[in-house]
Amino acid sequence: MRALYSAATGMAAQELNVQVISNNIANMRTTGYKKQRAAFQDLIYDHVRRVGAQASDQGTILPVGVDIGGGVKTVGTPRLMSQGTLSPTGNDLDIAIRGEGFFKIQVPDGTYAYTRDGSFMMDAQGRVVTAQGNPVQPTITIPQNSSQITINAQGQVTVIVPGSTTPTQVGQIGLTRFINKAGLNPIGDNLFTDTPASGTPQDGVANTDGFGDMQQGNLEQANVEVVTEISDLIAAQRAYEMNAKVVSAADQMMQSTANMFR
Amino acid sequence: MENMLLVGLSRQMTLERQLDVVANNVANINTTGFKADRSLFEEYLRSPAHEDNFVHADRRVSFVHDRATFHDFAPGPSEQTKNPLDVAIDGNAFLVVQTAAGERYTRDGGLQINNQGQLVTASGDPVLGTSGPIVFQPTDKAINIAADGNITVLEGTGSTDAVRGKLRLVNFADAQKLVKEGGNLYSAGQGVAAQPDTTARVRQGFIEKSNVNSVHEMSRMIEITRTYTQISAMLQQQHDLHRTAVEKLADVPA
Repeated sequence: MRALYSAATGMAAQELNVQVISNNIANMRTTGYKKQRAAFQDLIYDHVRRVGAQASDQGTILPVGVDIGGGVKTVGTPRLMSQGTLSPTGNDLDIAIRGEGFFKIQVPDGTYAYTRDGSFMMDAQGRVVTAQGNPVQPTITIPQNSSQITINAQGQVTVIVPGSTTPTQVGQIGLTRFINKAGLNPIGDNLFTDTPASGTPQDGVANTDGFGDMQQGNLEQANVEVVTEISDLIAAQRAYEMNAKVVSAADQMMQSTANMFR
Repeated sequence: MENMLLVGLSRQMTLERQLDVVANNVANINTTGFKADRSLFEEYLRSPAHEDNFVHADRRVSFVHDRATFHDFAPGPSEQTKNPLDVAIDGNAFLVVQTAAGERYTRDGGLQINNQGQLVTASGDPVLGTSGPIVFQPTDKAINIAADGNITVLEGTGSTDAVRGKLRLVNFADAQKLVKEGGNLYSAGQGVAAQPDTTARVRQGFIEKSNVNSVHEMSRMIEITRTYTQISAMLQQQHDLHRTAVEKLADVPA
């Protein structure tokens, strides 16, 4: 009985849907987090009688066919890359990107990863690093005992070094963009890596060529909307229940067949 | 007398298929742009035996079989996603998708951009514009899809709109002739021509949810199981009647 299996695919799909939603909710306070949505498609159909087939010797054509579907499949969990709201922190090394682009981060194996999480810090050598200690690219070192770190909209970092009254530029934080940023691969720790789907990384300067600008002293909040997530969660739970009811209906029908002529 | 079993079975088989249809609808309750299917039944009359076996024609018995499933093209509710690449279609139109097997049609407007900058469906097939695939440049930003399907972007630092194409929207004289292919796609059979749709409007930032009505599906499901059980009980009674008859008739004192 096909209904049993169709309903089972429905239950599996809703289970995954709940997983995606719960991960969104779990990350509703994660800086720079981008929410995901489960996308579903119908499975192939069994064309018991194909529409347009000959219905009789006289050449009559079936105006509608008998198509029985096999359930549902998950085609992907695309990420919604919309801008999150900026919240001021007052911290000099917190940077939010307003618009396109990702910060480029060097991870311990020497390769690059990308993030929208701009909550940076300084390590023992004065380098600007992420919360995990991975340096921002290109590497920026803040001289010892310097004060008044300023990062402008283009990402230029200037400081006041001891014994001087004029700001000195110590580097520029770059941005990277992708033609299909939804195709980036999340590796945890708020980091993404490029994939064949995302296209090659294009490095550039903030506030030029379509890149976003940098907002010092701000962090980008997750773009999760709790109300949407909770209503989606309720819908997913109900959909799961309904699929379970179809399973028990199919079961009941098979039972009544099994009990015939005993 | 034996016909009752066959009539009952013909109905039970159609009920089983009807539950398959309901199950597929329920499974796709969260599928973007999904359209529910309905079953249609018809009575067909058949003589249990050929008339040339008898002097008079045998009485014809009424069976049931499923004639068709038809697609319910009622619009599904729109959900706001704020994703610039999501489009919901107001009206009867379909988006045109280029697949390896040819042009296919879909109501699923959850679109993406692939690594070549092409506008594609969630499964990666290019969505066609009025003049072929729609391709974005790496520096494009602020993608805007107008109600008539025109796609404009801001190019790099520019502040004027650059046109990237226009979504091709089509409809069909008889959409029932479309065949569901799975993957949210429909194909048009022979002699079914897609014609440009000029009245449909697209809404950016929305997706069309499945039009499956859970209350309808659940009540239909209950009706199916009840009917099925009733027929089983009826066949059981018929069987008991047979058995009693055989036992009674065999119980002739020697």
